[in-house]
Amino acid sequence: MTASAARAARPLLGAAVFLAVLGLWQAEARRHPSYLFPAASAVLERASHVWPTSEFLSDVVSSLERLGAGYVIGAGVGVALGLVLGSSVGLRRLLEPLTELLRATPAISIVPAAIVLFGLGEAMHVAVIAFAVCFPVLVNTVEGVRAVSPEVRDTAAMLQVGPVERAVRIHLPAALPQIFAGLRIALSAAVILLVISEFVGAGDGVGHYITFQQSQFNTEEVYGGILFLGLLGYVLNRLFLVVERRVLAWHYGAVGESGR
Amino acid sequence: MPRAVEQEAHAGVVLRVDSLSKRYAENGPPALSDVAFEVRRGELLAVVGPSGCGKTTLLRIVCGLTSASAGTVFLDARPVLRPPREIAVVFQDYSRSLFPWLTVVRNVMFPLRRTQASRAERLATAEAALEELGLRGVARKYPWQLSGGMQQRVAIARALVSRPEILLLDEPFASVDALTRAELQDVLLRVHGEHRRVTIVHVTHDIDEAAYLADRVLVMTPAPGRVVRLVDVELPRPRAQTATRSSDRFLAVRNEIQEAITEQQALQRGGERQ
Repeated sequence: MTASAARAARPLLGAAVFLAVLGLWQAEARRHPSYLFPAASAVLERASHVWPTSEFLSDVVSSLERLGAGYVIGAGVGVALGLVLGSSVGLRRLLEPLTELLRATPAISIVPAAIVLFGLGEAMHVAVIAFAVCFPVLVNTVEGVRAVSPEVRDTAAMLQVGPVERAVRIHLPAALPQIFAGLRIALSAAVILLVISEFVGAGDGVGHYITFQQSQFNTEEVYGGILFLGLLGYVLNRLFLVVERRVLAWHYGAVGESGR
Repeated sequence: MPRAVEQEAHAGVVLRVDSLSKRYAENGPPALSDVAFEVRRGELLAVVGPSGCGKTTLLRIVCGLTSASAGTVFLDARPVLRPPREIAVVFQDYSRSLFPWLTVVRNVMFPLRRTQASRAERLATAEAALEELGLRGVARKYPWQLSGGMQQRVAIARALVSRPEILLLDEPFASVDALTRAELQDVLLRVHGEHRRVTIVHVTHDIDEAAYLADRVLVMTPAPGRVVRLVDVELPRPRAQTATRSSDRFLAVRNEIQEAITEQQALQRGGERQ
Protein backbone atom coordinates (compact mmCIF):
# COMPACT_ATOMS: atom_id res chain seq x y z
CA MET A 1 0.00 0.00 0.00
CA THR A 2 1.38 3.43 -0.90
CA ALA A 3 1.80 6.14 1.72
CA SER A 4 -1.10 8.18 0.37
CA ALA A 5 -3.38 5.16 0.26
CA ALA A 6 -2.43 4.42 3.88
CA ARG A 7 -3.28 8.00 4.80
CA ALA A 8 -6.63 7.72 3.04
CA ALA A 9 -7.41 4.48 4.86
CA ARG A 10 -6.63 5.87 8.31
CA PRO A 11 -10.09 7.35 9.03
CA LEU A 12 -11.67 4.06 7.92
CA LEU A 13 -9.37 2.18 10.25
CA GLY A 14 -10.33 4.54 13.09
CA ALA A 15 -14.00 3.90 12.43
CA ALA A 16 -13.36 0.16 12.36
CA VAL A 17 -11.65 0.26 15.77
CA PHE A 18 -14.52 2.32 17.15
CA LEU A 19 -17.08 -0.21 15.90
CA ALA A 20 -14.99 -3.10 17.18
CA VAL A 21 -14.95 -1.67 20.71
CA LEU A 22 -18.70 -1.11 20.50
CA GLY A 23 -19.09 -4.70 19.31
CA LEU A 24 -16.95 -5.99 22.18
CA TRP A 25 -19.08 -4.06 24.67
CA GLN A 26 -22.21 -5.50 23.07
CA ALA A 27 -20.88 -9.07 23.07
CA GLU A 28 -19.66 -8.91 26.69
CA ALA A 29 -22.94 -7.44 27.90
CA ARG A 30 -24.85 -10.16 26.06
CA ARG A 31 -22.69 -12.87 27.63
CA HIS A 32 -23.35 -11.59 31.17
CA PRO A 33 -26.85 -10.14 31.11
CA SER A 34 -27.21 -7.77 34.07
CA TYR A 35 -28.95 -4.45 34.57
CA LEU A 36 -25.72 -3.19 36.15
CA PHE A 37 -23.97 -3.40 32.80
CA PRO A 38 -26.41 -2.72 29.95
CA ALA A 39 -25.65 -3.63 26.34
CA ALA A 40 -24.66 -0.93 23.88
CA SER A 41 -27.78 -1.62 21.83
CA ALA A 42 -29.97 -1.19 24.90
CA VAL A 43 -28.29 2.11 25.79
CA LEU A 44 -28.75 3.43 22.24
CA GLU A 45 -32.29 2.18 22.08
CA ARG A 46 -33.16 3.90 25.36
CA ALA A 47 -31.37 7.09 24.27
CA SER A 48 -33.36 7.23 21.07
CA HIS A 49 -36.49 7.43 23.22
CA VAL A 50 -35.21 9.68 26.00
CA TRP A 51 -33.16 12.28 24.10
CA PRO A 52 -36.09 13.70 22.06
CA THR A 53 -38.29 14.13 25.15
CA SER A 54 -38.93 17.69 26.33
CA GLU A 55 -37.66 16.79 29.84
CA PHE A 56 -34.27 15.72 28.51
CA LEU A 57 -34.07 18.64 26.07
CA SER A 58 -34.78 21.09 28.88
CA ASP A 59 -31.92 19.49 30.84
CA VAL A 60 -29.70 20.03 27.80
CA VAL A 61 -30.81 23.65 27.45
CA SER A 62 -30.11 24.33 31.15
CA SER A 63 -26.64 22.83 30.84
CA LEU A 64 -25.83 24.78 27.69
CA GLU A 65 -27.01 28.03 29.27
CA ARG A 66 -24.72 27.52 32.27
CA LEU A 67 -21.86 26.50 30.06
CA GLY A 68 -22.35 29.46 27.72
CA ALA A 69 -22.69 32.04 30.49
CA GLY A 70 -19.73 30.70 32.47
CA TYR A 71 -17.55 30.42 29.40
CA VAL A 72 -18.30 33.91 28.10
CA ILE A 73 -17.82 35.54 31.51
CA GLY A 74 -14.63 33.59 32.27
CA ALA A 75 -13.15 34.21 28.82
CA GLY A 76 -14.09 37.91 28.90
CA VAL A 77 -12.50 38.43 32.31
CA GLY A 78 -9.46 36.36 31.32
CA VAL A 79 -8.83 38.28 28.10
CA ALA A 80 -9.47 41.71 29.62
CA LEU A 81 -7.27 41.05 32.65
CA GLY A 82 -4.65 39.42 30.43
CA LEU A 83 -4.47 42.47 28.18
CA VAL A 84 -3.97 44.72 31.20
CA LEU A 85 -1.38 42.48 32.89
CA GLY A 86 0.39 41.79 29.60
CA SER A 87 0.98 45.50 29.06
CA SER A 88 2.16 46.41 32.53
CA VAL A 89 5.25 44.85 34.05
CA GLY A 90 4.47 46.51 37.38
CA LEU A 91 0.94 45.17 37.64
CA ARG A 92 2.08 41.76 36.49
CA ARG A 93 4.69 41.57 39.26
CA LEU A 94 2.11 42.77 41.75
CA LEU A 95 -0.55 40.23 40.81
CA GLU A 96 1.60 37.30 39.71
CA PRO A 97 1.71 35.47 43.09
CA LEU A 98 -2.07 35.69 43.30
CA THR A 99 -2.80 34.58 39.73
CA GLU A 100 -0.21 31.80 39.94
CA LEU A 101 -1.83 30.41 43.08
CA LEU A 102 -5.37 30.66 41.71
CA ARG A 103 -4.25 29.11 38.46
CA ALA A 104 -2.69 26.15 40.27
CA THR A 105 -5.85 25.64 42.36
CA PRO A 106 -7.92 22.79 40.88
CA ALA A 107 -11.15 24.48 39.83
CA ILE A 108 -13.13 21.48 41.11
CA SER A 109 -11.97 22.24 44.64
CA ILE A 110 -13.88 25.51 44.75
CA VAL A 111 -17.25 23.85 44.07
CA PRO A 112 -18.12 23.25 47.77
CA ALA A 113 -17.10 26.79 48.63
CA ALA A 114 -19.10 28.13 45.71
CA ILE A 115 -22.16 26.24 46.96
CA VAL A 116 -21.76 27.86 50.37
CA LEU A 117 -21.26 31.27 48.79
CA PHE A 118 -23.85 31.22 46.01
CA GLY A 119 -26.26 28.48 47.12
CA LEU A 120 -27.47 25.88 44.67
CA GLY A 121 -28.70 28.34 42.04
CA GLU A 122 -27.49 29.25 38.61
CA ALA A 123 -24.91 31.68 40.00
CA MET A 124 -22.94 28.79 41.52
CA HIS A 125 -22.68 26.88 38.24
CA VAL A 126 -21.78 29.96 36.26
CA ALA A 127 -19.20 31.06 38.85
CA VAL A 128 -17.29 27.77 38.97
CA ILE A 129 -17.28 27.44 35.18
CA ALA A 130 -16.10 31.06 34.80
CA PHE A 131 -13.37 30.42 37.37
CA ALA A 132 -12.14 27.35 35.51
CA VAL A 133 -12.20 29.21 32.17
CA CYS A 134 -10.63 32.44 33.35
CA PHE A 135 -7.13 31.25 34.25
CA PRO A 136 -5.99 29.36 31.15
CA VAL A 137 -7.29 32.30 29.09
CA LEU A 138 -5.64 34.86 31.34
CA VAL A 139 -2.25 33.14 31.32
CA ASN A 140 -2.28 32.66 27.55
CA THR A 141 -3.36 36.24 26.92
CA VAL A 142 -0.52 37.58 29.07
CA GLU A 143 1.99 35.39 27.23
CA GLY A 144 0.57 36.43 23.87
CA VAL A 145 0.82 40.12 24.69
CA ARG A 146 4.35 39.74 26.00
CA ALA A 147 5.35 38.04 22.75
CA VAL A 148 4.26 40.99 20.58
CA SER A 149 7.34 41.82 18.50
CA PRO A 150 9.33 45.00 19.20
CA GLU A 151 8.80 45.97 15.55
CA VAL A 152 5.03 45.92 16.02
CA ARG A 153 5.36 47.90 19.26
CA ASP A 154 7.57 50.51 17.57
CA THR A 155 5.24 50.74 14.59
CA ALA A 156 2.26 51.24 16.89
CA ALA A 157 4.11 53.94 18.82
CA MET A 158 4.97 55.77 15.59
CA LEU A 159 1.31 55.55 14.52
CA GLN A 160 0.23 57.42 17.69
CA VAL A 161 -1.53 54.41 19.20
CA GLY A 162 -2.58 55.17 22.80
CA PRO A 163 -2.79 52.63 25.67
CA VAL A 164 -6.43 51.57 25.26
CA GLU A 165 -6.24 51.42 21.49
CA ARG A 166 -2.99 49.48 21.78
CA ALA A 167 -4.64 46.85 23.95
CA VAL A 168 -7.66 46.44 21.69
CA ARG A 169 -6.25 46.98 18.21
CA ILE A 170 -2.67 45.76 18.55
CA HIS A 171 -2.20 43.45 21.53
CA LEU A 172 -5.54 41.64 21.23
CA PRO A 173 -5.19 40.60 17.57
CA ALA A 174 -1.46 39.94 17.94
CA ALA A 175 -2.10 37.66 20.94
CA LEU A 176 -5.13 35.98 19.38
CA PRO A 177 -3.34 32.74 18.41
CA GLN A 178 -2.28 32.22 22.04
CA ILE A 179 -5.66 33.38 23.34
CA PHE A 180 -7.35 30.72 21.21
CA ALA A 181 -5.01 28.07 22.59
CA GLY A 182 -6.16 29.13 26.08
CA LEU A 183 -9.82 29.22 25.05
CA ARG A 184 -9.56 25.66 23.79
CA ILE A 185 -8.10 24.34 27.04
CA ALA A 186 -10.77 26.34 28.84
CA LEU A 187 -13.54 24.71 26.82
CA SER A 188 -12.81 21.23 28.13
CA ALA A 189 -12.34 22.64 31.64
CA ALA A 190 -15.73 24.32 31.33
CA VAL A 191 -17.49 21.08 30.40
CA ILE A 192 -15.86 19.26 33.34
CA LEU A 193 -16.93 21.95 35.80
CA LEU A 194 -20.42 22.04 34.33
CA VAL A 195 -20.90 18.33 34.96
CA ILE A 196 -19.31 18.33 38.39
CA SER A 197 -21.34 21.27 39.59
CA GLU A 198 -24.52 19.64 38.27
CA PHE A 199 -23.61 16.37 39.99
CA VAL A 200 -23.42 18.03 43.37
CA GLY A 201 -26.02 20.72 43.28
CA ALA A 202 -28.57 21.16 40.54
CA GLY A 203 -32.28 20.57 39.98
CA ASP A 204 -31.76 19.99 36.27
CA GLY A 205 -29.09 19.73 33.58
CA VAL A 206 -27.45 16.70 32.00
CA GLY A 207 -25.17 16.18 35.02
CA HIS A 208 -28.19 16.13 37.30
CA TYR A 209 -29.94 13.74 34.87
CA ILE A 210 -27.09 11.23 35.21
CA THR A 211 -26.99 11.29 39.03
CA PHE A 212 -30.77 11.16 39.23
CA GLN A 213 -30.99 8.13 36.91
CA GLN A 214 -28.18 6.49 38.87
CA SER A 215 -30.18 6.89 42.08
CA GLN A 216 -33.10 5.16 40.32
CA PHE A 217 -30.78 2.32 39.14
CA ASN A 218 -31.59 3.23 35.52
CA THR A 219 -28.18 2.25 34.21
CA GLU A 220 -29.18 2.49 30.56
CA GLU A 221 -30.03 6.15 31.14
CA VAL A 222 -26.79 6.70 33.06
CA TYR A 223 -24.73 5.38 30.14
CA GLY A 224 -26.90 7.35 27.73
CA GLY A 225 -26.15 10.53 29.67
CA ILE A 226 -22.43 9.82 29.59
CA LEU A 227 -22.64 9.19 25.86
CA PHE A 228 -24.50 12.45 25.39
CA LEU A 229 -21.83 14.43 27.28
CA GLY A 230 -19.13 12.76 25.19
CA LEU A 231 -20.90 13.79 22.01
CA LEU A 232 -21.49 17.28 23.37
CA GLY A 233 -17.79 17.72 24.15
CA TYR A 234 -16.87 16.43 20.73
CA VAL A 235 -19.29 18.73 18.89
CA LEU A 236 -18.21 21.77 20.93
CA ASN A 237 -14.58 21.06 20.14
CA ARG A 238 -15.31 20.73 16.41
CA LEU A 239 -17.31 23.97 16.45
CA PHE A 240 -14.44 25.64 18.25
CA LEU A 241 -11.98 24.50 15.58
CA VAL A 242 -14.23 25.84 12.81
CA VAL A 243 -14.38 29.24 14.51
CA GLU A 244 -10.63 29.22 15.20
CA ARG A 245 -9.79 28.37 11.59
CA ARG A 246 -11.90 31.29 10.41
CA VAL A 247 -10.75 33.87 12.94
CA LEU A 248 -7.08 32.90 12.70
CA ALA A 249 -6.98 32.35 8.93
CA TRP A 250 -4.38 35.14 8.66
CA HIS A 251 -2.22 33.45 11.27
CA TYR A 252 -2.24 29.96 9.78
CA GLY A 253 -1.41 31.47 6.39
CA ALA A 254 1.55 33.40 7.78
CA VAL A 255 2.85 30.49 9.86
CA GLY A 256 2.52 28.05 6.96
CA GLU A 257 4.40 30.40 4.69
CA SER A 258 7.40 30.85 6.98
CA GLY A 259 7.49 27.15 7.80
CA ARG A 260 7.83 26.22 4.14
CA MET B 1 20.47 86.98 17.24
CA PRO B 2 16.92 88.41 17.18
CA ARG B 3 14.18 85.82 17.02
CA ALA B 4 12.98 86.80 13.51
CA VAL B 5 16.48 86.51 12.09
CA GLU B 6 16.99 83.19 13.80
CA GLN B 7 13.76 81.86 12.33
CA GLU B 8 14.77 83.00 8.88
CA ALA B 9 18.17 81.39 9.21
CA HIS B 10 16.44 78.12 9.98
CA ALA B 11 13.68 78.48 7.44
CA GLY B 12 14.97 75.64 5.31
CA VAL B 13 15.73 73.37 8.26
CA VAL B 14 13.03 70.86 9.16
CA LEU B 15 15.03 68.78 11.60
CA ARG B 16 17.93 69.85 13.80
CA VAL B 17 19.97 67.37 15.80
CA ASP B 18 21.81 69.18 18.54
CA SER B 19 24.89 67.59 20.19
CA LEU B 20 23.21 64.26 20.75
CA SER B 21 24.84 61.64 22.97
CA LYS B 22 23.57 58.28 24.10
CA ARG B 23 24.85 55.75 26.59
CA TYR B 24 22.78 52.61 27.12
CA ALA B 25 24.52 51.77 30.39
CA GLU B 26 25.45 54.37 33.01
CA ASN B 27 29.19 53.78 32.71
CA GLY B 28 29.12 51.91 29.43
CA PRO B 29 30.65 53.05 26.14
CA PRO B 30 28.73 55.78 24.33
CA ALA B 31 26.62 54.57 21.40
CA LEU B 32 26.48 58.15 20.14
CA SER B 33 28.86 60.96 20.94
CA ASP B 34 28.04 64.60 20.27
CA VAL B 35 26.17 64.06 16.99
CA ALA B 36 24.96 67.28 15.37
CA PHE B 37 23.51 68.02 11.94
CA GLU B 38 20.59 69.64 10.20
CA VAL B 39 18.16 68.22 7.67
CA ARG B 40 16.76 70.60 5.06
CA ARG B 41 13.14 70.54 4.04
CA GLY B 42 12.58 68.26 1.05
CA GLU B 43 16.06 66.78 0.90
CA LEU B 44 17.03 63.13 0.93
CA LEU B 45 19.73 62.69 3.53
CA ALA B 46 21.50 59.36 3.77
CA VAL B 47 23.16 58.28 7.02
CA VAL B 48 25.86 55.77 6.23
CA GLY B 49 28.40 53.92 8.31
CA PRO B 50 29.57 50.45 9.30
CA SER B 51 27.48 48.39 11.70
CA GLY B 52 27.75 49.52 15.30
CA CYS B 53 28.22 53.19 14.42
CA GLY B 54 24.95 54.15 16.10
CA LYS B 55 22.88 54.75 12.96
CA THR B 56 19.85 52.93 14.28
CA THR B 57 20.21 54.50 17.73
CA LEU B 58 20.33 57.91 16.06
CA LEU B 59 17.21 57.15 14.04
CA ARG B 60 15.33 55.88 17.08
CA ILE B 61 16.14 59.06 19.00
CA VAL B 62 15.15 61.26 16.04
CA CYS B 63 11.73 59.62 15.83
CA GLY B 64 11.17 59.72 19.58
CA LEU B 65 11.25 55.97 20.27
CA THR B 66 14.42 56.21 22.39
CA SER B 67 15.50 59.06 24.63
CA ALA B 68 18.90 60.72 24.35
CA SER B 69 21.36 60.86 27.24
CA ALA B 70 22.26 64.41 26.23
CA GLY B 71 21.31 66.78 23.46
CA THR B 72 18.03 67.45 21.70
CA VAL B 73 16.28 66.78 18.41
CA PHE B 74 14.22 69.69 17.07
CA LEU B 75 11.44 69.13 14.59
CA ASP B 76 10.31 72.49 13.17
CA ALA B 77 12.11 74.11 16.12
CA ARG B 78 10.13 72.04 18.69
CA PRO B 79 11.96 69.41 20.71
CA VAL B 80 11.02 65.79 19.97
CA LEU B 81 10.03 64.10 23.24
CA ARG B 82 7.76 61.34 21.95
CA PRO B 83 6.96 59.96 18.49
CA PRO B 84 5.61 62.96 16.55
CA ARG B 85 2.71 62.75 14.13
CA GLU B 86 4.85 64.40 11.44
CA ILE B 87 7.39 61.57 11.29
CA ALA B 88 6.77 58.20 9.66
CA VAL B 89 9.22 55.30 9.86
CA VAL B 90 9.91 52.28 7.70
CA PHE B 91 11.79 49.60 9.60
CA GLN B 92 14.16 47.03 8.18
CA ASP B 93 12.05 44.05 9.14
CA TYR B 94 8.97 44.57 7.00
CA SER B 95 7.67 41.09 7.81
CA ARG B 96 7.32 42.03 11.46
CA SER B 97 6.33 45.69 11.23
CA LEU B 98 3.27 45.15 9.05
CA PHE B 99 0.30 43.95 11.11
CA PRO B 100 -0.18 40.33 10.02
CA TRP B 101 -3.83 40.24 11.11
CA LEU B 102 -4.80 43.05 8.75
CA THR B 103 -5.07 42.86 4.98
CA VAL B 104 -2.68 45.00 2.96
CA VAL B 105 -5.20 47.80 2.43
CA ARG B 106 -6.22 47.80 6.10
CA ASN B 107 -2.57 48.09 7.08
CA VAL B 108 -2.27 51.15 4.87
CA MET B 109 -5.58 52.59 6.16
CA PHE B 110 -4.45 52.25 9.78
CA PRO B 111 -2.65 55.64 10.03
CA LEU B 112 -5.81 57.36 8.69
CA ARG B 113 -8.09 55.97 11.41
CA ARG B 114 -8.47 59.28 13.26
CA THR B 115 -8.96 61.53 10.24
CA GLN B 116 -12.33 63.10 9.50
CA ALA B 117 -12.57 61.21 6.22
CA SER B 118 -15.28 58.58 5.76
CA ARG B 119 -14.38 54.93 5.48
CA ALA B 120 -14.83 55.03 1.72
CA GLU B 121 -12.51 58.03 1.46
CA ARG B 122 -9.87 56.39 3.64
CA LEU B 123 -10.11 53.26 1.53
CA ALA B 124 -9.66 55.31 -1.64
CA THR B 125 -6.65 57.14 -0.14
CA ALA B 126 -5.04 53.85 0.89
CA GLU B 127 -5.66 52.29 -2.50
CA ALA B 128 -4.14 55.34 -4.20
CA ALA B 129 -1.06 55.04 -1.97
CA LEU B 130 -0.70 51.36 -2.91
CA GLU B 131 -1.10 52.25 -6.58
CA GLU B 132 1.59 54.88 -6.24
CA LEU B 133 3.99 52.25 -4.92
CA GLY B 134 3.20 50.05 -7.91
CA LEU B 135 1.00 47.65 -5.95
CA ARG B 136 -2.11 46.65 -7.86
CA GLY B 137 -4.51 43.86 -7.04
CA VAL B 138 -2.97 43.08 -3.64
CA ALA B 139 -5.21 45.26 -1.44
CA ARG B 140 -7.27 42.35 -0.10
CA LYS B 141 -4.30 40.03 0.42
CA TYR B 142 -2.51 39.48 3.69
CA PRO B 143 1.12 40.64 4.02
CA TRP B 144 2.48 37.07 4.14
CA GLN B 145 1.02 36.42 0.70
CA LEU B 146 3.41 39.00 -0.83
CA SER B 147 7.12 38.82 -1.61
CA GLY B 148 9.57 40.66 0.65
CA GLY B 149 9.98 43.51 -1.81
CA MET B 150 6.24 43.95 -2.09
CA GLN B 151 5.82 43.87 1.68
CA GLN B 152 8.37 46.64 1.97
CA ARG B 153 6.43 48.66 -0.63
CA VAL B 154 3.34 48.22 1.55
CA ALA B 155 5.32 49.48 4.55
CA ILE B 156 6.40 52.55 2.52
CA ALA B 157 2.82 53.13 1.36
CA ARG B 158 1.62 52.97 4.97
CA ALA B 159 4.32 55.45 5.99
CA LEU B 160 3.43 57.90 3.21
CA VAL B 161 -0.36 57.66 3.39
CA SER B 162 -0.67 60.17 6.21
CA ARG B 163 1.52 62.69 4.30
CA PRO B 164 4.29 62.91 6.91
CA GLU B 165 6.78 65.78 6.83
CA ILE B 166 9.65 63.39 7.40
CA LEU B 167 10.08 59.80 6.30
CA LEU B 168 12.74 57.86 8.24
CA LEU B 169 14.00 54.65 6.68
CA ASP B 170 16.07 52.23 8.76
CA GLU B 171 18.00 49.93 6.41
CA PRO B 172 14.76 49.45 4.50
CA PHE B 173 16.23 47.39 1.66
CA ALA B 174 18.73 45.32 3.66
CA SER B 175 16.53 42.22 3.75
CA VAL B 176 15.72 41.91 0.04
CA ASP B 177 17.70 40.50 -2.89
CA ALA B 178 19.91 42.72 -5.07
CA LEU B 179 17.48 43.09 -7.99
CA THR B 180 14.56 43.95 -5.72
CA ARG B 181 16.83 46.35 -3.86
CA ALA B 182 17.62 48.32 -7.05
CA GLU B 183 13.93 48.34 -7.89
CA LEU B 184 12.99 49.66 -4.45
CA GLN B 185 15.71 52.33 -4.64
CA ASP B 186 14.10 53.64 -7.81
CA VAL B 187 10.65 53.48 -6.22
CA LEU B 188 11.98 55.62 -3.38
CA LEU B 189 13.56 58.12 -5.80
CA ARG B 190 10.29 58.37 -7.71
CA VAL B 191 8.26 58.88 -4.53
CA HIS B 192 10.71 61.54 -3.38
CA GLY B 193 10.52 63.27 -6.76
CA GLU B 194 6.74 63.30 -6.71
CA HIS B 195 6.31 64.47 -3.10
CA ARG B 196 8.69 67.40 -3.04
CA ARG B 197 7.53 68.29 0.43
CA VAL B 198 8.56 65.06 2.09
CA THR B 199 11.99 64.99 3.68
CA ILE B 200 13.68 61.61 3.73
CA VAL B 201 16.34 60.40 6.15
CA HIS B 202 17.64 57.08 4.92
CA VAL B 203 19.86 54.97 7.17
CA THR B 204 22.00 52.39 5.36
CA HIS B 205 25.32 50.57 5.58
CA ASP B 206 25.54 50.49 1.77
CA ILE B 207 27.82 53.29 0.52
CA ASP B 208 26.70 52.93 -3.11
CA GLU B 209 23.08 53.10 -2.10
CA ALA B 210 23.70 56.26 -0.07
CA ALA B 211 25.51 57.94 -2.98
CA TYR B 212 22.88 56.86 -5.50
CA LEU B 213 19.88 58.09 -3.51
CA ALA B 214 20.91 61.06 -1.43
CA ASP B 215 21.33 64.81 -1.78
CA ARG B 216 23.76 64.72 1.14
CA VAL B 217 25.42 61.84 2.93
CA LEU B 218 26.17 61.89 6.64
CA VAL B 219 29.10 59.56 7.30
CA MET B 220 29.29 57.96 10.75
CA THR B 221 31.92 55.75 12.37
CA PRO B 222 31.67 53.55 15.45
CA ALA B 223 33.19 53.48 18.93
CA PRO B 224 31.87 56.01 19.75
CA GLY B 225 29.21 56.61 17.12
CA ARG B 226 29.76 60.05 15.64
CA VAL B 227 29.57 62.05 12.44
CA VAL B 228 32.91 62.25 10.65
CA ARG B 229 31.87 63.88 7.39
CA LEU B 230 28.98 65.41 5.51
CA VAL B 231 29.25 64.83 1.77
CA ASP B 232 27.33 66.89 -0.81
CA VAL B 233 26.41 64.43 -3.53
CA GLU B 234 25.60 66.94 -6.29
CA LEU B 235 24.51 64.29 -8.76
CA PRO B 236 21.84 65.46 -11.21
CA ARG B 237 18.26 64.22 -10.86
CA PRO B 238 16.48 62.21 -12.09
CA ARG B 239 18.98 59.46 -11.42
CA ALA B 240 19.20 56.13 -13.19
CA GLN B 241 20.86 52.92 -12.01
CA THR B 242 23.35 52.58 -14.88
CA ALA B 243 23.92 56.21 -15.97
CA THR B 244 24.28 57.58 -12.45
CA ARG B 245 26.39 54.76 -11.09
CA SER B 246 28.84 54.92 -14.00
CA SER B 247 29.35 58.71 -13.78
CA ASP B 248 32.66 60.16 -12.54
CA ARG B 249 30.86 62.17 -9.88
CA PHE B 250 29.27 59.01 -8.44
CA LEU B 251 32.68 57.39 -8.12
CA ALA B 252 34.10 60.52 -6.53
CA VAL B 253 31.28 60.61 -3.97
CA ARG B 254 31.51 56.95 -3.05
CA ASN B 255 35.30 57.23 -2.76
CA GLU B 256 34.98 60.23 -0.49
CA ILE B 257 32.60 58.31 1.77
CA GLN B 258 34.81 55.24 1.73
CA GLU B 259 37.90 57.32 2.55
CA ALA B 260 36.19 59.03 5.47
CA ILE B 261 35.34 55.63 6.96
CA THR B 262 38.70 54.01 6.22
CA GLU B 263 40.62 57.01 7.56
CA GLN B 264 38.72 56.86 10.81
CA GLN B 265 39.24 53.11 11.13
CA ALA B 266 42.98 53.54 10.53
CA LEU B 267 43.12 56.26 13.19
CA GLN B 268 41.34 54.01 15.66
CA ARG B 269 43.61 51.05 14.94
CA GLY B 270 46.61 53.36 15.38
CA GLY B 271 45.16 54.52 18.68
CA GLU B 272 44.68 50.95 19.85
CA ARG B 273 48.29 50.04 19.08
CA GLN B 274 49.76 52.82 21.20
